[in-house]
Amino acid sequence: MLGSLPSFARLESELSKLPGIGRKTAARLAFHLLRTSEQDVEALAAALLEMRRNVHFCQCCFHIAEEELCQICSNPARETQSLCVVEEPQDLLAIERSHSYSGLYHVLHGALSPLDGIGPEDLKIPQLLQRLDQEPISEIILATNFTVEGEATALYLGQICKDRGLQVTRLAHGIPSGSDLEYIDAGTVQQAVAGRREFS
Amino acid sequence: MVHLPQRCEALVLRLTSYGESDVIVTLFTADHGLQKGFAKSARKSRKRFGAALEPFTKAVFQWKKGRGSFWLLQDSELISSHLGLRSDLHHLALASYGVELVSLLLEEGEPHQIIYELLCSFLDYLEQGGDGLIARLLFELRLIYLLGYMPHLLHCSECLKIFTNEPVRFDAQRGGSLCLDCAGSTGISVDLGTIGSLARSLKVTYRQFDGFLFGPKTLQQAGLILNQVLQQVLPREPKSLKFLSQL
Ligand SMILES: [Zn+2]
Ligand SMILES: [Zn+2]
Repeated sequence: MLGSLPSFARLESELSKLPGIGRKTAARLAFHLLRTSEQDVEALAAALLEMRRNVHFCQCCFHIAEEELCQICSNPARETQSLCVVEEPQDLLAIERSHSYSGLYHVLHGALSPLDGIGPEDLKIPQLLQRLDQEPISEIILATNFTVEGEATALYLGQICKDRGLQVTRLAHGIPSGSDLEYIDAGTVQQAVAGRREFS
Repeated sequence: MVHLPQRCEALVLRLTSYGESDVIVTLFTADHGLQKGFAKSARKSRKRFGAALEPFTKAVFQWKKGRGSFWLLQDSELISSHLGLRSDLHHLALASYGVELVSLLLEEGEPHQIIYELLCSFLDYLEQGGDGLIARLLFELRLIYLLGYMPHLLHCSECLKIFTNEPVRFDAQRGGSLCLDCAGSTGISVDLGTIGSLARSLKVTYRQFDGFLFGPKTLQQAGLILNQVLQQVLPREPKSLKFLSQL
């Protein structure tokens, strides 16, 4: 049916390449854009292109940036002796939203994965090691996810950092605040019990 | 047709994100072998599956028949997370290797009770901090044997002469061990002691990993032998092997 509407079909096909968007959603979005004013569609198209052209990765920490250095790396108020290692820019943003950390970051763009054959060289790990050599960093916070891949990455980096005499910490994990123990899954409770700490 | 939910114990081998919030789960079970399961909204909500949807986890899953051969996973009850694996990168990589071998060598849907038990025991042993080299040797050897890929060991693959004390070569492509007369220039040189150790190890129950002792030379030669056999039967090089070599 859409064969006779090549422009519509082309947009639908482009939209369906986006993550989480299937054929049906793509068609719905395309119909929505059809009813949108030409001006708004132009603004959307321009925003897409502008973002793609202007945003890249920070040369130092590999967070997203519009300049050579991201806003965190170029902020003189950040503490330079702490470095928090995360898997993705979204993880960095989550920690920033918590207002609990004022040091620097390093974004790995992934995690070690034996099953997918993703090794240290496939991530921004060589660049991290270079930073450890060049910057006055004394504490590493391993904030990779609590998945098998995230834990593998933390183990790998933890060993390297300890060998270099750095202080290494890992984010605490377990029961989310505001939740009832009885509704927490067994695996999370298991980790929370294993990671219990002195009560003060 | 209405399909009633069924329950089944399974190991989670692998997770693949699907769409916005769904997950495709590769499961390994005793009665149904390798199965693909569909966990709807599993990335959005941890209510139904919680920590059960992680590689190496053993859990009881409730499922219904879905489209094709897919299982629609409904909920889960955790048996073991094998969390101990997460304290040693080498063991974690070996566990991944075991899981990948099973995924590569078994057909989907073929029941494999003994291989299921073998993989569970392998993960348990690694989790408890067992010896990685021994775990790998025994796991590879038993898997090769159970799948019917065992090479000739204690006699020459071609003239069938039983070895007593002579030098032996090994060439998986030609069926296994070879006497020097038959071998010519092919194969690798191995000790009779190594071959004997491999044959003896198969006499012990598949669930046992404790209590084995192999010398460094035996481990090295057995590694080469098993690697040759695996290279012949694997459809591709395991990715976890590449990872292991980077550690
Ligand atoms: Zn930066
Ligand atoms: Zn012979």
